[in-house]
Amino acid sequence: MADETKPSSGDSAGLSNGGLVSHKSGRVHSDAVKDLLSLGVCERCIFRLVSVESFDSDLSSVSTSTLRSWLESGDEEAGSRICIVCLGILQLVFSDGKQTDCVSDYAAKVAELVKQEGHEFDSFGLEVSVPSILVDNERAVLLYLKGKYKSEGWVEGEKISVKDALKVLLLDPLQALLGAKSDTSSFHIRLTYSKASDEAQGASETTHERKKRKTDEENGLTCMSQNSFEKVYEPCILSLHCNKMPIFFSGRYFKYSRNVSQTRWIIDDERMGEASVEEIIGGNILPACLGDSYKFHAAGREDIDVRMLGSGRPFLIEVQNSRKCPSQQSLTEIEEKINNSEKKLVGVKDLKFIGSQCWAMMREGEAEKQKQYAALVWTSRPLEEKDINSVSSMKELKILQKTPVRVLHRRSPLERERTIHWMKVEKIKGSSHYFLLHLCTQAGTYIKEFVHGDLGRTTPSMGSILGCRAEIIQLDVTDVKMGDS
Amino acid sequence: MEVAKNPELEKTIESTKQNQSEQVVEHGEKQAQEEEDELRSLLLSDIGDLPLTPPSATQLNFVSYFTTDFTKPGHDHYIYRHANGLCVIGLAPTHVAFKDEGGIINIDFNVGKSDRSVLKVSGKRKKNAMRSESNTALCKVSTAKDSYIVRCCVKGSLLEVNERLINQPQLLNSSADREGYIAIIMPRPADWTKNKESLITLEEYKEKKEVSL
Repeated sequence: MADETKPSSGDSAGLSNGGLVSHKSGRVHSDAVKDLLSLGVCERCIFRLVSVESFDSDLSSVSTSTLRSWLESGDEEAGSRICIVCLGILQLVFSDGKQTDCVSDYAAKVAELVKQEGHEFDSFGLEVSVPSILVDNERAVLLYLKGKYKSEGWVEGEKISVKDALKVLLLDPLQALLGAKSDTSSFHIRLTYSKASDEAQGASETTHERKKRKTDEENGLTCMSQNSFEKVYEPCILSLHCNKMPIFFSGRYFKYSRNVSQTRWIIDDERMGEASVEEIIGGNILPACLGDSYKFHAAGREDIDVRMLGSGRPFLIEVQNSRKCPSQQSLTEIEEKINNSEKKLVGVKDLKFIGSQCWAMMREGEAEKQKQYAALVWTSRPLEEKDINSVSSMKELKILQKTPVRVLHRRSPLERERTIHWMKVEKIKGSSHYFLLHLCTQAGTYIKEFVHGDLGRTTPSMGSILGCRAEIIQLDVTDVKMGDS
Repeated sequence: MEVAKNPELEKTIESTKQNQSEQVVEHGEKQAQEEEDELRSLLLSDIGDLPLTPPSATQLNFVSYFTTDFTKPGHDHYIYRHANGLCVIGLAPTHVAFKDEGGIINIDFNVGKSDRSVLKVSGKRKKNAMRSESNTALCKVSTAKDSYIVRCCVKGSLLEVNERLINQPQLLNSSADREGYIAIIMPRPADWTKNKESLITLEEYKEKKEVSL
């Protein structure tokens, strides 16, 4: 119950410590409280704006009715009015219009909504978003208070915002209810409050009133009267969203099919190829994470008709808003499922969860600046021993490649210098026109164009080196070092 | 209390350890060899029946069109259109210039209002490309006897001319359909649809000219 610690003088204006009434959590100016109550400001906002002591978590355990009794309002109707400052946010109003008296009930409802989203977490970050009109509402009421109680010490202090006040109220109960700590977490709980309708303004002025006030100020009238504040009929509506920051998985993939693209490829509503590496891998990981969506990143790429063999190509799968993180055991099972699938289009190895070092790993994958290939080549004249020797003896061969015609529609017309580090010819039994060409080149070299010459726009080419026409039948990416044999 | 060391036992332990580490290395090498063998078999297993002469990259990736007697009799050109819409333009084998003795000895891109070989097209959006109509002059080829104007045949943006021809005009005689191509033009889809109507296919071209290619 309130007891006066300072003798109250008859007039409160002009006296710095007069008129303060003490309650369990601090002191409030009783006249200011009466003013704000009659304007339609809720109990917690009054404590926020008027209390000498700061609004802290002790207030979270105090029910609305207890607060009301401390303020001695005696006005039971006050409880059913929506606050003109916070539009009901600090009054613990549910979206169905019902109001709760204590913070723990409200927190329990929030916790229930969080659990419905299905996330597994041991820490969370609480974010609150309120309509921007609240800033204007608060400014209007403070202007009124400063006008009427200008010399009081408590008027000028910094006031905790509605957003922060709500966080102060909810954090401890939520931590207990959810069994998780509140900190800078990758899992966010966002409470978004929005205005019920455009009319639910609150204390802030309409445009007409603002113009009138500005002209009044110019004319020397600075007072905001009690009549400036309109009633609010609808509380804010809460919507809750949980979001987990993206998680990453790394691995290396193999592509065994010549009819599978790396990423989903659709032209004119028709899919190119029969599947994609991205969908095969991502499509298996996403359900294990119970995520919303995934993104596929690879260190380099190969054409749809080129196989990816050897040590495989590094990739990352990024999963948005995962509800749970699969164990290494589950990842191994996913890997086996893909590798043992009937069609054997794609293979995966070293699939694992990876943290923030994932991008460094990708850059390292691309930094494997040398790529090795095996190409099946046909020449218009039979291959002789001297050809094999001359090709094998070429080391660090520099070539100039104009942008290939097949990508010229979407890439800049440039001339790129590239290096063929070494080449080795492997004869094919029974054929003098076909052979396997093993080569190791600088990253970014167009191999197909190096073989057939791209209408002479890549020089030198296999054709120009051998002095005949050369065609590439198929290409594989390999990474296995070829010995000297 | 001293434990007497048994030299024999020590030796056995040492050699066992050595064997073990050798085995690890051996196992590693064996695994690498196995992987290499597996790769090799993958590479070779994919080689099916090999035809005597496989289709060329041009035949696989482009659709061939021709225009004959374009603005003048005997002015036959090919238009190889890639799946991405780009058109490679060149002289068809029946072009009148090839009938002159000695074939083509010179090519000049400085026709019309500008020298086509100095255009600098840049960027993905192909800035500064010359816009051409189908009858815009592309270049002039000369034989010992006469010179002939070659036209764009396709309405679009001129992306590139084959400036290698300036120093090596004989490419036109030896491989007009590959290294002797003349230019690359990018038509707009709507323009191509209209343009296409005046072109003929490879089959129709063969019939018309009674040539076996």
